[in-house]
Amino acid sequence: MNASILSANGVTKAFAGVLALDRVDFAVRPGEVVGLVGENGAGKSTLMKILGGILAPDAGSVGLDGVDLPRLTVASAMAGGIAFVHQELNLFDNLTVAANVMIGREPVRGGPLRLVDDAALERRTAPLLAQLGADFAPRTPLSRLSLAQMQLVEIAKALSLQARVVIMDEPTSSLTASETDRLLDVIGHLKARGVAVVLITHRLGEIERCADRVVILRDGRRVAELAGDAIRADTMIAHMIGRDLKTLYRAPAAPPGPAILELRALRTPYRPERPVHLTVHRGEILGLAGLVGAGRTELARAIFGIDRPLAGEIVIDGRPVAIASPDQAIAQGLYLIPEDRKRLGLMLDFPIRQNVSMAMLAGRSAATLVDLEEEEAVAARERDRLGIRAASLSLPAGALSGGNQQKVVLAKWLALSPRILVFDEPTRGVDVGAKSEIYRIMRELSDAGVGILMISSDMEEIIGVSDRVAVMHEGAIAGLIERDGLSEEAILSLAVGRRTR
Amino acid sequence: MISRKDLGLLILILVVGAIVAIINPRFLSPINLANTANLIGLFGLFAVAQAFVIISGGIELSVGSIIALVGVVFVDLVANETLSPGLAAVVALAIGALIGLVHGLLVTRVGIQPFVVTLCGLLIYRGIARYYTEDATAGFPFGASFPTLEWLTAGRFYGVPHSLIAFVLVTIVMSVVLHRSVFGRHLFAVGKNEEAARYSGIRTTRVIVAAYVICCTLTALAAIFIAMYTRSISPSSHGNFYELYAIAAAVLGGCSLRGGEGSMLGVVLGTILLQVLQNLVNLLGIPSSLNFAVMGSVILLGVIADRQFTSVGSRRAAKVPAATTTPAA
Amino acid sequence: MKTTLATVALAGALALTATPGMAQGKKTLAFVVNGASDFWKLAEAGVKKAQAELPNYTLQFKYPEQAAAAVQQRLMDDLVVAGVSAIMVSAVDPKTSTAALNRVGGQVPLFTTDSDAPDSNRIAYIGSSNMDAGKQAGEIAKKALPNGGKCIGFVGLPGADNARERIEGMKAAIAGTKIELVDVRGDDIDQTRAKRNVADALAANPNIDCMVGFYSYNPPRIYEVLKESGKLGKVTVIAFDEDPITLGGVKEGTIAGTVVQQPYEWGYQGMKLMAKVLEGDKSGIPANKLVIVPTKIIDKSNVDAFETELKARIRG
Repeated sequence: MNASILSANGVTKAFAGVLALDRVDFAVRPGEVVGLVGENGAGKSTLMKILGGILAPDAGSVGLDGVDLPRLTVASAMAGGIAFVHQELNLFDNLTVAANVMIGREPVRGGPLRLVDDAALERRTAPLLAQLGADFAPRTPLSRLSLAQMQLVEIAKALSLQARVVIMDEPTSSLTASETDRLLDVIGHLKARGVAVVLITHRLGEIERCADRVVILRDGRRVAELAGDAIRADTMIAHMIGRDLKTLYRAPAAPPGPAILELRALRTPYRPERPVHLTVHRGEILGLAGLVGAGRTELARAIFGIDRPLAGEIVIDGRPVAIASPDQAIAQGLYLIPEDRKRLGLMLDFPIRQNVSMAMLAGRSAATLVDLEEEEAVAARERDRLGIRAASLSLPAGALSGGNQQKVVLAKWLALSPRILVFDEPTRGVDVGAKSEIYRIMRELSDAGVGILMISSDMEEIIGVSDRVAVMHEGAIAGLIERDGLSEEAILSLAVGRRTR
Repeated sequence: MISRKDLGLLILILVVGAIVAIINPRFLSPINLANTANLIGLFGLFAVAQAFVIISGGIELSVGSIIALVGVVFVDLVANETLSPGLAAVVALAIGALIGLVHGLLVTRVGIQPFVVTLCGLLIYRGIARYYTEDATAGFPFGASFPTLEWLTAGRFYGVPHSLIAFVLVTIVMSVVLHRSVFGRHLFAVGKNEEAARYSGIRTTRVIVAAYVICCTLTALAAIFIAMYTRSISPSSHGNFYELYAIAAAVLGGCSLRGGEGSMLGVVLGTILLQVLQNLVNLLGIPSSLNFAVMGSVILLGVIADRQFTSVGSRRAAKVPAATTTPAA
Repeated sequence: MKTTLATVALAGALALTATPGMAQGKKTLAFVVNGASDFWKLAEAGVKKAQAELPNYTLQFKYPEQAAAAVQQRLMDDLVVAGVSAIMVSAVDPKTSTAALNRVGGQVPLFTTDSDAPDSNRIAYIGSSNMDAGKQAGEIAKKALPNGGKCIGFVGLPGADNARERIEGMKAAIAGTKIELVDVRGDDIDQTRAKRNVADALAANPNIDCMVGFYSYNPPRIYEVLKESGKLGKVTVIAFDEDPITLGGVKEGTIAGTVVQQPYEWGYQGMKLMAKVLEGDKSGIPANKLVIVPTKIIDKSNVDAFETELKARIRG
């Protein structure tokens, strides 16, 4: 067996007291495709950041070509031939494909003038694109490419850097089936050239198709490694979850009450031709499922007053209300826990206590003083109630783990009195422990009479938490599924627009 | 409760002051201290004003032009006895508030970048000021006397110039507004992350407009004091570049031009340092032409030193939780 | 639609603010100054008087929107294009603008005033001799300080020619006496700094005997600081130009005297001279091409008469 190019040896890493990685071993050998799977928050991204030199491990070591080091730096990882293809692409859409591939290493001409030699730039890029089977030219502006094509540009950039290990983080999450096939072919090419590929993905079928080995992480621990024929989706799922999610479901304490939020023919700027009808009852958790781009987040934005609805009515407790801005939604007791927590939900640099009091203070007169004792008391109360794990309420919110950050966002709203809560992807990037706590809090709130609308792309979450599920397709509600009819198939067929019953 | 940043600045001021005092002991003479205090008051008023806009994530470049415009209008109204000084002051402050309102609405409602809005303001108000007097100097005739107005703006209380007292009062009020009031909290939130503030229910438009109104109104107040100090205003040059003094003081005092950071105390210390530097150039007989160069160099050194301190500080802070979370088992 | 409205509004605004174009058939003479100040208001009055006597010419008085050489240069180029027949200019930066001035001078007859550009192709300079003015300030000092003393000067731009010549002239006049000009502080034409310079100088040198304000706004700042610190009358003040506060101080006796230029005469005589030259009569130009309008010392004895004359001229 070949020696490994890159390895993590007993790596441990904690963020603000929460273990993200616990003594994990991981190795990559030349020319192999290694899958890395696990639920959100299992520690995949942290492990890759350590291998890429972005983070330093708290304990353990990183091996590069057999040399054990306490940590890598970004520069040493790059020099060692380790390349990343990120979920968020690091490309410049104001430049051409060739300019992106050769960025920072442009061939020059014109002596001291150091002009960019565009001809040479394209000459050097063309063979890389050909190797990857790209159907676009080096001089194409990047802004004209699809997401899948941009990924090829990233890979071409990695190849031009003589990469020996290419780490791909969820490369197929936004690709169509045929684009995914092409990408998997490209991975085959890389393998044939002796380049190792680490593939992080939630799509287990892809791992089955192309991985030589797969490493499974759960809660920061390496729980299994499968190789060859042993790589099967059901085995991987069993290791990833470690329990049956359907058993997570906790029924409401009482049957749902009257309607608290009704959307009557609401037309959003996103898909104005498709009106939305939807009812959320007191004391229920209504799941809102659908594919990426179905318009669920856009619907949430319209309800919360970020984008003004073009037509239709929002009815709360039987009374039509006008919501033109978030402060008006908040005045109605309707709150949104947004999907993009770091950008929209929190002030990452602000102390936890100020994040918790943010919405409470937004409702106060600007001319009054902040009651610091009240602020502290409210923040402490919500911290205890939600189990926010933080050494101090003075820590910036950005220092917390994903799960605790989400609890701070929640605390911001619980400091007021919610009537309707809209969760958009409530547990994205949240570790398993915090996940179940968030579900517990959601159920407690609904039992207290709050109406909850939960947007989620996580099938297990939708099935495991919702009392009913509405499925969105191309901007409208394609159908409603009651608890007893809930299954992955039923949701999917509505989500892709197939008629049922 | 003094932050590390502010403490560093205070030390810098004390060191500079000590060096000057050693070379020329007259630095500490009551006359010189009072003179410098007066200028700190004049320049501090509009530096504090600028801080509000900078913390909101914007910038106000028309400060110098507002000082010229408000100055000529005020002096003209008072010197020609069109209005009583009190009413003239109300008019002056109203002009400032109106300008701030327009800037704020252009930034929030029309969506023009603050730099562009206030750059246009810089040109427009300068032009209006010059047109107003047809480029003549607005001033008081010889021997003209407005005892109450002069006592209020240029008088001394046990040797302490009233401009400094006004500055201290304004700073105390504005410190409470910025650091303790709900508005202040909203302002920091909007400056740091406008989107997240909106998602929390903060009416961001109002907050930003209010920041510009506060800034321009306080600048108008400063304009009155400055007009009563020079007693003569040539609209083409009066207040030129003063916005840069204000921005420099705010930046020295720890405001981030990206918004959401800054403290009143920092801005006050920044203003003090800038004025001590100008005083130093005169007292030490450094050629006047080097004035700006001395100022620029010290600001640069201060900001570099601050970056060094904070990066050491944050590295140390980052180590603390890591050390406490090493697995005990 | 919006664009159309904006365009119409802009056009309207321009039409309202524009000055009438060059009148047909009449030759246009332009007087271009170096920046906006009261000083030039007097020259403008002189130009107005000349206009009354030169009905066949259109006389224009032009302020550049900024006291910058480039802005002034553009203004002159525009005037040449617009068809002016001759230009009299107070160049912002005569030393380094020789080539640019020559370009203008190559197209129309060019005169300089206030600050000369001797190396250019200008036909003549009409104005004061700053050196002589400085000497006159020295005379005031010698009279006011018979026992000598230490002086500090205040000026806008210490490196500018007019400032340097005034300072040199004064130093030449007081050479050999016990009067000494120990320092000159600059303020870049910022009045706040001008005033603080005086205050700082007084703090640094409490026993100073005399202060000299070289630019027109400097003496009023000196006057104010001395008044506020109770030293008015104890420190000798020597002034230049005719700011109302300066003249008030001279009347009061707290300012020893001021040296005034005669911008009114520059405007009046200058325009008449230009018209003559255009008509072919060059007799008014001396061999050295310098038409010096002498500066005057104004002290308590003649200040009232001077002020009356000044007011009459400004009122036109």
